[in-house]
Order: sequence, then structure tokens, then C-alpha cells
Amino acid sequence: MDYVRAASIEDALVAARWPGAAFVAGGTNLVPDILFGRKKPGLAVDISRLRELRFIEERGGRLRIGALATVTDLLESDRVRKAAPPLHESAVEFAGPLVRNRATVGGNLLDASPAADLAPPLLAQDGEAELISVEGPRSLPLASFFLGYRQTAVRPGELLSAISLRPLGPGDRSAYQKLQLRRAMAISVVSVAAALWMEDGRCAEAGIGMGAVAPVPYRSWAAEAELRGRVVGETEIESAAAAAREEARPIDDVRASAQYRMRMCGVLVRRLLRRALGLSAPPREL
Amino acid sequence: MSRYEVAFRVNGEERRDSVRGEDTLLRTLRELGHVDVKTSCEAGDCGACAVLLDGEAVNACLVLTAQADGCEIVTVRGIGTEGNLHPIQRQIVEKGGVQCGFCTPGIVVAAKALLDRNPAPSLEDIRRGLAGNLCRCTGYQKLFEAIVAAALEMRG
Repeated sequence: MDYVRAASIEDALVAARWPGAAFVAGGTNLVPDILFGRKKPGLAVDISRLRELRFIEERGGRLRIGALATVTDLLESDRVRKAAPPLHESAVEFAGPLVRNRATVGGNLLDASPAADLAPPLLAQDGEAELISVEGPRSLPLASFFLGYRQTAVRPGELLSAISLRPLGPGDRSAYQKLQLRRAMAISVVSVAAALWMEDGRCAEAGIGMGAVAPVPYRSWAAEAELRGRVVGETEIESAAAAAREEARPIDDVRASAQYRMRMCGVLVRRLLRRALGLSAPPREL
Repeated sequence: MSRYEVAFRVNGEERRDSVRGEDTLLRTLRELGHVDVKTSCEAGDCGACAVLLDGEAVNACLVLTAQADGCEIVTVRGIGTEGNLHPIQRQIVEKGGVQCGFCTPGIVVAAKALLDRNPAPSLEDIRRGLAGNLCRCTGYQKLFEAIVAAALEMRG
């Protein structure tokens, strides 16, 4: 494998046109994929020193996160903690500190695992991916970013530069949970992020991000539709939970059965909406 | 096959090598004689190869050697030596935190990074700080006790 270190974004975009080129940043997925023969790039384009892609800022009313922000950066950011609590919580649950110090936001999304930890919270807050190539920039809603199992809409030669989010304010509500078989270094069994933007006691806008229950992480439009524009109470929560459960298309694997995962979609959506709205836990969850 | 000239400092000493694009920092360090950095899963799961890379604890198996060009690397031997153990190392010995010893270098590196960031960690902070390091012998309890004691000692 050849290696080139990009000194600028322009450099990286030119190198990326080489046949068999792959970007490498934190390397937490790509380096073992190469070692174990799962991926065989002909050229690694090292973008890890492009400082201009490592930032967390507020811009145009959105929270904007550079693709090279690490998971540790997310975890330690006050902006993320305040404006995107589910993303902060997903960073807390992400792998362990050794991996968090290297793994980047862009890499987690581009790896396109159905269980990508950062995807549900980014989807729930209306995430939008910013892409650049020699042809120019374009942006893409994160909900249209994942095309299939480990497939994204990113074209060859395109660089994911940033993700922007709709921020949550002090009066808005949110919650996150990752079901996992141990408390760290675990691939999620099911993960859900919920964000509710409130206006006069009504849910003006809702985002529900689902992970590990379909070939791709996705927004549960069906669950969101039961919440948007409504005063959310028990009835709305039950409808949203049922919609999320019906929409899920999970598989059986070593971590859990499809049946369990489907059931947990309903349980988690119900639990997170109750938690977000400050309602007490229901007496019986299943 | 293309080779790339790299230079970095390991425990304060200048090191140079000519590496292939796919070589990992773990393999290069061991070939250069730094066998205190342990090879185990080579997939970022176990933490046995943890080193400080420009002050941050990382799995050396997940870093391409070429990416570490110009960096400052510290391995367990750079944290303390046999004649002059770091409090973390001494407390791990005293509290019985070593059995087979294979995970110990990575544990010391991860604990050093934790205490550099957070000199007064809670037990939960320590558990989370070591979450990327597997130990199959000790059950972790003695390691946690050792790090609590080292933190106390270092704060004076």
C-alpha cells in the first residue's frame, strides 16, 4: 500500500482521485481492516493532520462539527454537552478512551456500520453531511447518507468535511440509550436517540434516530410523525413506540435476536420519550 | 514497493526507520526493540499496545507508522524505570495488580494518561479510564486500588 500525507484539503482531493485511494484519519476501523485483509486500498491518503477539519463551532444557527473532531473532542466539548446531549452521551458510551482519542466523527459515519454509535444522535438532530470534491461542495441530509449495509452516498473522490446539527435549547428535550452487553468496548445491540424541540408545551419538531435495527442507521419518520405538532402525552408516546417497533428491520446475530431487537425498539422509544419529558417510568415495560 | 522514511522520538530518543505504507506503529516499535509494547489483538480491542502519542494514550496497533512521523512517543519504559518506578508502577506491584503481566504495560500507559488529565479520579473515572484495557488475570480490583493509591501519592 502506498501512503501520502495530505498537507491541505486540496492535496487530499487530488490524491483521492488515484485509483484505489482511501482516506485514513484515526485508523480505528481502516487499519485493522487492512491488517486482516478486509480492505485493500492501493493508496492511503492521510488526512489526520488537516487541523482545519477538526473543530466544533456554532454557525448559521447550527452546531457544526468537523469530520476530524475525535470522539474525545465530542466528550469534552461544552457546546456538544449543551446543544446535543444525546451526542455527548453516545461519546461517553463509545468504545474506550484509547479508541476515543483516535476515532473521528467522519470515520464513524463513513464506516457505515448499522451500529455506528454516533449515527442515531446525529440523525435525531437533523444531521447534515458537508462533502467536498474537486467539483465543489455539496451537502446531504444524514437521513439520505446511508444507502445500504456499509454503503454511503459519498462518491469516490469526495471528502466528508463536516456534520451540522440542529441544536437543542434549554427548553427542548432529549434522551439517548445504547443497549450493550457490557459497559464499554461494546457494539450496540440497539441504540436510540430522541430529540424534541418544544414550543408552548407542544412538540414543534421531533427527531428519532435508530441504530443496529436495520441494514443502516436511520431516522424513524413514522415515530416522529406521532409526535410532531402535538402535546406529547401517554397516547402519543405509545403511538410513537408502536410505530418505531413496526418500522424496524433487525437481524439475528451473536448479540441478540431480531425479535428481541424489534421489541426493544418499542421499549427504548417509550422509555426515552418518558425520560426526556420527565414522566415517571411505566410500571411494566414490555 | 514504496518505503517511507520516518523519524520520531521514543522515550526521548530519536528513532528512524524506513517503513511500508501498511506498517503499524506497534509492529515498527517492536522491530526497533521496544518490545515493552505488547502485541495481542491488533484490532484496538485489548489495549496491550497502548502508548502515549504526543501525550495522548492510543492503541499503537491502530496507527500507521507513517502517521507517527515527527511525533513524541512514550512507552511504559518511558514512564518509569526499574530503579526509579513511577508511583503507578510501584503501586501496581505493591497492591498485587500484576499476575501474568502481559496487560501491565498498556495498563500503566492508560493509567498515566488518566491521571495526567484527572489527578483526582473517582473509582468510576478509573473504571472508565481503563475501559479499553483487558486484563484476564486480576479481575481489575487490585489495579483500581493501585491507581487510587498512586493518585493519592502523586497529589501528596
